[in-house]
This record gives sequence, structure tokens and C-alpha cells, in this order.
Amino acid sequence: MFIDIHVHPAFYEPINSDPVREEMRHEALDIHLNGTAKLAHIENQMRLAGLDKMCLLGQDYLVKEGVTPVSNEEVQSLVDLRPDRFIGFASVDPHDPAAAEKLECAFAELGLVGLNLHPGRQRFYPTDDCVQPLYDICERHDRPVMFHAGMSWEPHALAKFGRPVEFEELAEARPNLRFCLGHFAWPWLEEAAMLMVKHRNVYADTAALYFDCAREFYDRLFTQELPLTWIDRSLRHQVMFGSDNPRFEQIRMARALEGLGLRESTLELVKGENALEFLYGRD
Amino acid sequence: MVFEKSFTFLTSEYNQYTLITEKIESVVAESGVTNGMVTVLSRHTTTGITTNEALECLESDIDEFLCRLVPEDHPYAHARMLADYGSTAGNPTGHLKALLTGNHAHFLVRDGRIEKGGAQEVYFCEFDGPSERTFLVQVMGE
Repeated sequence: MFIDIHVHPAFYEPINSDPVREEMRHEALDIHLNGTAKLAHIENQMRLAGLDKMCLLGQDYLVKEGVTPVSNEEVQSLVDLRPDRFIGFASVDPHDPAAAEKLECAFAELGLVGLNLHPGRQRFYPTDDCVQPLYDICERHDRPVMFHAGMSWEPHALAKFGRPVEFEELAEARPNLRFCLGHFAWPWLEEAAMLMVKHRNVYADTAALYFDCAREFYDRLFTQELPLTWIDRSLRHQVMFGSDNPRFEQIRMARALEGLGLRESTLELVKGENALEFLYGRD
Repeated sequence: MVFEKSFTFLTSEYNQYTLITEKIESVVAESGVTNGMVTVLSRHTTTGITTNEALECLESDIDEFLCRLVPEDHPYAHARMLADYGSTAGNPTGHLKALLTGNHAHFLVRDGRIEKGGAQEVYFCEFDGPSERTFLVQVMGE
């Protein structure tokens, strides 16, 4: 089983029939010149990357910016088109007074399996009061949280809100809440590793490609900034493959992961088994 | 007169060679031009249009030849965040292979038919697939 835990479906053709909405997405996400992607194309990409499933993330920046680039209903509509391939994550804006109600609806009625939050864009720290009710709901439903951590290319996003040390109190206070530091919180990989080695409920994904090609950047991140042995020995149950597609290149990133030199058993964990545990909990 | 048609389709492989000769012939026939010329042009920078004999062995040799000339594992400069796209450039091999094949083919049209040798076929070459691609066929003449 090979799962991409971090995919943004903003430009999937089935949710882009409105050109005004598509243009909003280009501006809100600062992704341009890419067009929209037919589902047949998405499946070709998945096949060449070797992927079995992808987690599609909603994006809600309603309060600060007045836009919801990908709504929960749109995520659900995509999952309904390929329920065997897509796993849907909700998004709500923690500053939205209706956030808790929307999240309950996303879990209970839309069937979405996790929550996606972007502290740097939505402007909150992981321990702020506004987001606590959302964690309560996630814990009650046993659903994981994907955080955008570290640097974000998106406009108006500040990295300081997503620095790993800001998540320490959350990991300590809510040991039953599974959460992921998206993008391995680049550039703070060692700080992320510090949290992960102590807190078993903290995960990280590999969705980072800010310099060089995928092979070179993965080599840099996972053999130099972090020794490969740290992942292969200590963090092997908490690292998940993520691409941040379409920002980054899913196929080449998948190949770069496979070429790192991890033990085969670790590679299987990173490619899929850890994602299943993150999504659905341990047996 | 000038007659033009475009074709848009999905490629399914990273590198892929698709025969498009029949499509070009159909445009020439549809145009009604009996004497003139036809141009086939890709709209992309990581694809090519080329002419060769349509044999499985040659397709394999051409692909292997281009991969040897333009290896994936090389420190290319085109590997960085591109602000205009908001994404990382990762397809230098596609650009360089496209440079080698060129982006168009050109034929004479005589008596309403493409003037080409018996072994000549036209390929659309994908070098950064899968993707959605478009090529144009323009017929000029009388």
C-alpha cells in the first residue's frame, strides 16, 4: 500500500467548472500556469508514482481572507468519484465561530476522515484557545490533524506559527490526538525530530521540495539534515510520504523516497503503513 | 487558403511516442488543399514532433538514445522553485529532449496528399508525462 498523505486537489477538473473560482484558487494558493487536471490524468500520475491512495486536503481561509480554496463539500464530491483512491480531509478556519459545527458536519455527515489546518495562513498558534474545540472533536471522533508546519509558499503565510516547538504543548497535553507536521516542518527538521522521538502521537510527512530536484533535496533532508538512521531506526513509525502536489512533483518525489536507502521494512512503513495508522489509529 | 485544426489529448507515460500521421492526413483531406504545405506544431516545451519509421525496435532505440544523451541523474540547473508557477521545476530532461527532436514537422502537399516517403511517419513525443497536450496542424495552399 502506497499512500500520498498530502495532496491538494484545488485544480482537479470536477471542482473547477466555475472559472472565477479557478482563478481565485490560482491567486489564493500562488500556483499558476498549471491548468486543471482530469481524473484520468490524476490516475495516470498515481500509476506512474506507484500510488494506491491519496489524501485530499480541504483548505479554508474564510475569516482572514474571505476565501475557501477547497471546501469540505468539494473534497467529499471528489472522494465520491473515486472512493477506492481518495481519502478526504476537512478544513475549517479556527477563527470562524461556526468552525466546530462545520467540523462535526464534515466528520458525521460528509464522512471526511481528518482535519487540515494551516497555522501560518490561518494565523493561530497550535495551543490557542480558538482551536481547542476542534481538537476536542477530533479526539472524540478519533480523527487525525494535518498541520501545515514550517515554511509555506502560500501568500500571507508566516512560518513562525508552524515552528515545531510551538506544537510541543499540544503533543504533551493531548497524547491521544494524532497530528502530522506537514512538510516535515522544513526548515526545522531536527526540531520536528525532537518532538517525534519523544511523542508517539506526532507524525511528519515528506512534502517538501523547495530547492534542487527531488533526489537532491531528499538526500539533503534525510541523509544530511537528519541522518538516515534517525528515520530508519527511531522515527520509522512516524514518517509518511507526502508530496504537496500540485506544488511539488509526486512521481519524482516517490522515486527519491525509494532511492534514499532506507531498509525495505522502513520504506513500507513510510509509504503506507504509517499513514494507515495515522488515519485510523492503531489496532 | 489556410486551414487549421488542433488536437488535445492525455498522455499516460513519462516518455511516450504517439503516431499522429493519420490525424495530419485527415486534416489535409478536410482542408481541400491540393497543392501547398502542412505544418504540425506542438504547443509545449517538453514535447517534440519528429519523423521516423514506425517500428517498435526504433521507438525503443530512439528512447534509449535520448535517455543516454539526457540522463535523469545529472545536476541540471533547471531544478528550483519557479515564482511564476509557484512550484518546483523538475523537468529539465523534458526540455532538453524536446530541444533535440524539435517542436514541429513540415511537409509538402501535392495532389491533396502529404508528400512523404513510404517509411516516414510522424510522432508526437511526450518527454514529461503524463500530461494534457495539444498540437496544431495548419495546411496552407490552394
